[in-house]
Amino acid sequence: MSERIKVDARGAFCPGPLMELIAALKLVEVGDEVEVWSSDKGSATDIPEWVKKVRHELVGIEPRDAYWSIVVRKAK
Amino acid sequence: MSGLPLYILLCSGEHERVQMAAMMASVGAVSERAVEVFVSMNALSVFAKEAPAEGRYRGGPFSRLLNEKRVPDALGLLRQAKELGDLKLWACSMALDVQGLEMDGLVDGLFDGPLGLTKFLSDAESGQMVVL
Repeated sequence: MSERIKVDARGAFCPGPLMELIAALKLVEVGDEVEVWSSDKGSATDIPEWVKKVRHELVGIEPRDAYWSIVVRKAK
Repeated sequence: MSGLPLYILLCSGEHERVQMAAMMASVGAVSERAVEVFVSMNALSVFAKEAPAEGRYRGGPFSRLLNEKRVPDALGLLRQAKELGDLKLWACSMALDVQGLEMDGLVDGLFDGPLGLTKFLSDAESGQMVVL
């Protein structure tokens, strides 16, 4: 049974949200998901680019009220 | 490691440049690139255990903004990147000598040792170099 943990990185500037996401991914099992909330505008492009490069899986990305919700599944 | 190794030669002690070096080093290191940072000239003082009385980071108008906002601390970013990725930091042996500094005078847990420029340049032939 996969799990999802939430990382609230709102208010952090680049590359804070990415680094918080990566630290969280280290702690979860393969197949688990991390949902990161970021108000850093660059995260909407930077995090999907990082996910593609290191071959995890982007589950979803959606704008919320003044922040982005980005869900990543640990693939390896 | 999937990307070309990244070599950052950090000479400036200006906050904005140190911050950019830390950002590049950390993002590179967590993106499956081997990253090495060679710290020399004025940049070495930023890493001194005994920070100057007026603060570790000194710079221009953007430095003030970096301090005011919740921007990740440069040394903190480098520490995090060492834990999460493949990052090495070297202290320029010439700069150590000129400043009369020993390795134990630099902040703990960041540096992999002293290094000469010749060795760093030789290693950097295999990758991409950025000078800040």
